[in-house]
Amino acid sequence: MKVAFPHMGNAYISLSALLEGMGAEVVMPPRPTRKTIDLGALHAPEFVCLPFKVNLGDNIQALDMGADTLAMVSGMWACRFGYYGRVQHQILKDSGYEFSSILLGRDSLASVYNAFGGTAPGSLPVSWFNAIRAFRRKALAVDELEAKARRTRPWESSRGATTRALGSALVGLHAATGSARTRDALADGLCMLDAVELDRSGRRPLTVTILGELYVVLEPALNFDIERVLGEMGVTALPVLSVYRWLFRSLKVDPRITLDEKRATRLARPYIALDLGGEEHMTIAGTIRAARNGHDGVIHLYPFTCMPENICRAILPRLETEYDIPVLNLCLDEHASPAGVATRLEAFVDLLRQRRRRVES
Amino acid sequence: MAVSGPTDERLLKLGVRHCVDDICVPVKLFFGHVLDLKDRVDYLFVPRLVSVEKSGGDSYTCPKLMGLPDMIKGALDGLPPVIEFRLDLKNHSLKHTARTVARSLPGRGGGFKASFRSAVSTQALYQRELLGGADPAGAMRKVLGENGDGGRARPAGRAAGSSVNIALVGHDYLVHDPFISHDLPGRLASLGANVTFTTQVPQEAIERELALYPDISWSFEKVLLGATSHFLRRDDIHGVIIVMGFACGPDSIVGEIISREVRRDSATPVMVLVLDEHTGEAGVATRAEAFVDMVRRSRGR
Repeated sequence: MKVAFPHMGNAYISLSALLEGMGAEVVMPPRPTRKTIDLGALHAPEFVCLPFKVNLGDNIQALDMGADTLAMVSGMWACRFGYYGRVQHQILKDSGYEFSSILLGRDSLASVYNAFGGTAPGSLPVSWFNAIRAFRRKALAVDELEAKARRTRPWESSRGATTRALGSALVGLHAATGSARTRDALADGLCMLDAVELDRSGRRPLTVTILGELYVVLEPALNFDIERVLGEMGVTALPVLSVYRWLFRSLKVDPRITLDEKRATRLARPYIALDLGGEEHMTIAGTIRAARNGHDGVIHLYPFTCMPENICRAILPRLETEYDIPVLNLCLDEHASPAGVATRLEAFVDLLRQRRRRVES
Repeated sequence: MAVSGPTDERLLKLGVRHCVDDICVPVKLFFGHVLDLKDRVDYLFVPRLVSVEKSGGDSYTCPKLMGLPDMIKGALDGLPPVIEFRLDLKNHSLKHTARTVARSLPGRGGGFKASFRSAVSTQALYQRELLGGADPAGAMRKVLGENGDGGRARPAGRAAGSSVNIALVGHDYLVHDPFISHDLPGRLASLGANVTFTTQVPQEAIERELALYPDISWSFEKVLLGATSHFLRRDDIHGVIIVMGFACGPDSIVGEIISREVRRDSATPVMVLVLDEHTGEAGVATRAEAFVDMVRRSRGR
């Protein structure tokens, strides 16, 4: 069984650990590029949200590379994401591709559980247990490495050093199998990031919260690598979402995440009365928290026509004045250009620097 | 009671100016209507549609309808107090919700029972009119009599002897807003087509059709899918026009599901018409004419 799934940031590391643990061969499409987006947009409905198009492009590339099974989560939510798998797989089948699909959430849990009966290395329950442990281990490790890189980058003395170190740390982690080797890979990675030469003289980086729709916040190919770009401009960029959080939120196994979700929902209540099926509570709560924690600004990222985030987009200007924190809204679609985004980021950072000087004087 | 006027250029411009840039047209229009009302009234009535089906698993409306009062309150300044009508049939009955709203109103509290009963029976009459083929404005005029503020009159459109029957599928706030749809129903009628609306399909027929496809969680779009499937199965419907709003989230997915799962084995011509605030009248007219001509020609053969 050659399984493929769409990319989302560094989620591929833990997801492939899960699938490989179940004995499946993972076909990894290349990281999304403009080509992926164009390929997806060609076959996707015209005004569907951008992540749909990118995921579709990923799937096409994976099928061209020989994948015979596509995996995707699916569900009945108010947000369109729940229908991605169903519609994408139909589009691909209509285009003449032959493959079997695993839709976690729509297919019964039992059928997903048994789908790996032929490939699992040991008995099914034991394999699932081990695979899920490996999955969680790697998700946590990726989270730790990313967090470390985020704190290091604004201080690096030669530009790009952190990104290179993170890159090789992730490659090492992805290659590691088994719990001992994963632990070693994580330690090595943290050492690599520690070894990045820092220059702490006189720098006081701005701190910016990144929030908005999950996929564009986490996928560097779509947000033009906003975390790195800001980091190299000497800005600490802290996303409120992470791959680990997304993967484990719905499983409700990590009490820290469950508790934080509850708190965020409560904080957002005066502005959004109901759950809308996306990350709207994190967007609203994240903005309020950024102001309370003394961050310098907020960058709100969302794909064109995204439903929950467009509601937030209407409410954010009010938060901006009520909590006195600058917000930059960036709407991204397949026509967004790197130069356009870079210019707006530079202007925003300039504005934040001036604001800090004014506040301090 | 004050009701906002019919949609026009001014309302649209107001809405577009005060609303988020890339949201769907209906929300922009709603903003326009709110702005039209806000200085004339003491209270503003804004519905929050959460679930409109009592049973039926995980069915909700679209997130924008669920968050409509939040958007209005967040984006507009100087609003009168908002009366929020939260229709959540899964958790609260209509009567309960209506009573909550009635209690929040100033003035005498009495007479709720009688007015609720009359509202329910009026709504039933209205829905019977819709099933019988009236458009919402016409049905409103008929049910409410003189008091109805039902927009302008439309040519009856049941031109005798015309041979093409066209079904018009789409959200009522697009299809029946003569401004944004450039009076598509009237236009089709004047081209000699008999127009059948989504509202003319009985609920049972829609549910029968929906049972054939995997579940969809959006209540209103589910109806569009069921109605399309129903129309495609009927021999006396010669063409189907699906009207979508640009940037409508559920439509983008359900439209694709319709074209890939529902239309599969049907020979009935289907046209998808996407409307937004920039859609030109000539564009709608040309496509409606071409579609009716095509259907008529294929019938003649």
